Amino acid sequence: MTTNKHIPPVLELIRDNIIKYGNPLALNHRQNSSWIKDLDLPAKGEILFYTGGEYQLLPYLEPLLKTMTYIDPAGRTFSLLMGARKLVNFIGIAPEKIFAGMLAKDKDRYNSINYKAAYILKKLGYDLCYDAQGEIYSGALLYELGFWQDLQSYAVRVGQAIRKTQAKTVVCLSPHAAEMFKHVYPQFNEFPELEVKTFVELVWEKRDKLSPIPVDSPVVVHDSCRLARDLGISKEIRDILDSVGVSYVEPIRNKEWTTCCGGPGKMLFPEISKIIAKRRVIELTDTGASKALLACPYCLSSLQGGLNPDKPMVIEDLVEFIYRGVNHNVEL
Amino acid sequence: MSNFKKELAEYTKNLNKATQDENLTRAVTRTVKSYRQNVEAAMSQYPHTPALAEEVRTIKDYSMANNKELLERAMQAIESNHGQAFYAEDREAAMNIVKKIVGQGKIIVKGKSMLAEELNLREALQEEGNEVWETDLGEFILQLKNDRPMHILAPSIHVPREQVAEIFSKFFQKEIPADIAEEVSVVREFLREKYFAADVGISGANVVAADTGQIVIIENEGNVRLCTGVPPVHIVIVGIEKLVPTFQDAMKVSEVTWRYANYGAPGYVNIISGPSRTGDIEKVITYGAHGPKEFYVIFVNNGRQAMMSDENYRQALHCLRCGGCMYECPVFQVTAGHYGRTYLSGIGSVWTSFVEGVESAAPMLYTCLRCGRCVERCPMQIDVPKMVGRLRSEVVSD
Repeated sequence: MTTNKHIPPVLELIRDNIIKYGNPLALNHRQNSSWIKDLDLPAKGEILFYTGGEYQLLPYLEPLLKTMTYIDPAGRTFSLLMGARKLVNFIGIAPEKIFAGMLAKDKDRYNSINYKAAYILKKLGYDLCYDAQGEIYSGALLYELGFWQDLQSYAVRVGQAIRKTQAKTVVCLSPHAAEMFKHVYPQFNEFPELEVKTFVELVWEKRDKLSPIPVDSPVVVHDSCRLARDLGISKEIRDILDSVGVSYVEPIRNKEWTTCCGGPGKMLFPEISKIIAKRRVIELTDTGASKALLACPYCLSSLQGGLNPDKPMVIEDLVEFIYRGVNHNVEL
Repeated sequence: MSNFKKELAEYTKNLNKATQDENLTRAVTRTVKSYRQNVEAAMSQYPHTPALAEEVRTIKDYSMANNKELLERAMQAIESNHGQAFYAEDREAAMNIVKKIVGQGKIIVKGKSMLAEELNLREALQEEGNEVWETDLGEFILQLKNDRPMHILAPSIHVPREQVAEIFSKFFQKEIPADIAEEVSVVREFLREKYFAADVGISGANVVAADTGQIVIIENEGNVRLCTGVPPVHIVIVGIEKLVPTFQDAMKVSEVTWRYANYGAPGYVNIISGPSRTGDIEKVITYGAHGPKEFYVIFVNNGRQAMMSDENYRQALHCLRCGGCMYECPVFQVTAGHYGRTYLSGIGSVWTSFVEGVESAAPMLYTCLRCGRCVERCPMQIDVPKMVGRLRSEVVSD
């Protein structure tokens, strides 16, 4: 482990966790794959269902954030995190355990998004595989935060994990993972050649198979920055909604002009991140819609945290929304 | 606690404080709304602009690749126009040249220039016993407030009229009402005297044509026109990245700049080739007819050459300083210039990395959300998120 005098300690903590545990918050394989339940997904196959453990992280983020907000980054929380890092290194206790007492009530919800996504894709006729024991985080945060040197060796690990599944196509639930597989890792030597798809794209390709979803009023679409700007996917979401007979409205800024949910700033500037989330929620509620749909784990978590109690709005992942149409009878 | 931790703590405190400043949030929210409406209107009135921006991107590519040659050509052209051209490697060299020209105990009027901010020019000249006046209204307010610009084009974006009235009442030692027209008028009256009393006028430049040596300065208030036209000496300080091959190129760059700065047409476009001259008496050319008798252009490097020679960052020099990206930045929208040092927001963090060093830029680099909306707005399509990512990797491996 290196220490760097010019970066905030929390970033090093995240880095160390990714490198040591293959997960930004040191969640283990059992925790990451507990969503799978009765879904029978082989570990090898043509199409790899890739969660990257990202929706699984979400329940931990808000409690962590609550602790960090109102405390300056050079103060107690950072010392605590530094302490946590030391614990990871010297005693082997993961920070996740330190924050275990703060587990959010949303854990089941966020975990079930993985289940619902895999279920939808299976229903649409995709033969998926999922590597419950071997899946590791995409490394997006190493890329985002500047740990590019670490990314060299991490890319090899991700490549090996993917190669083991024998997949030719990887379907990413998180646009951040998709960006890594599509735009970043191909620049690395010997990274397996893959067709990279997002969940949205696979659903879009078979959208004519979806059943109509009854709704009372139009929904509003929030485009994620990565999905809309980096991956160029925004029309597909509207096409899917058209296919299931759902009318939608657009907020003041959307598609390639979409407003960031504030999520990327969460760990370092939690207060600002929250304000940005609140402002985006205002843009969404200003449309008059009472439900917002999106397709990114961090947008889901951020906007959820930016809700105004006086102006209720339901923030839902596209996965959750479509699942309702695919299977009315199963309640998870 | 390490210096970096202290700086980060201070920076974060400032950022958070800025978000609680209702004046700032209100002012920026209104400005963003007007900016978007204005730029949309300007684009629909002049629909050729995006294609012109594409052409400017090519001009900039060429100009960066041939900067040395353009600099030589421009310096020759300026000299043949009876001006004097200088090259300054860094801040110290630039300030030495400026100080030598200006001297001490002079009255100086200056137009808005980001490079002047970068060089701390006003403060340096004041230390030499000169009286220096910012003539851009926003900058003038900040000078009296002892504050720094919160936006590159609208520096006092965060100061509402009530606060302006307070500052002016104190400075002019009379009651100035919180009425914008009155506030503008009192400064007009005050500075008018200064223009004519000034020994030196200092300006920046938006673009420089290498073939003709002509300097283009875009403005709205008319202050640049006065401070470059009235005093007997005019000094231009300009970054070497502002050079383009021809006058025609310069016009293209200028139009794209003001259009993305949300103007159909700006109040004034100043084109200056050299000192004022006349040949009206016996066709004998005499300098200093009505305008400046002396004309100096100082081309400044100060980290730009390093940016230019690194293909990963070269594109950041294409920045036209239209300010559009800042209006689209979700962090800037709630913090304004607190997200920055001399240069602001995402593109500012890239610039800061070169003119001040990545260590100074680190807090800014980690403030960027890398959301990429700035790239959508940028007429030069500068990929700020990509550069920020790469610079973070330099911070980390430092």
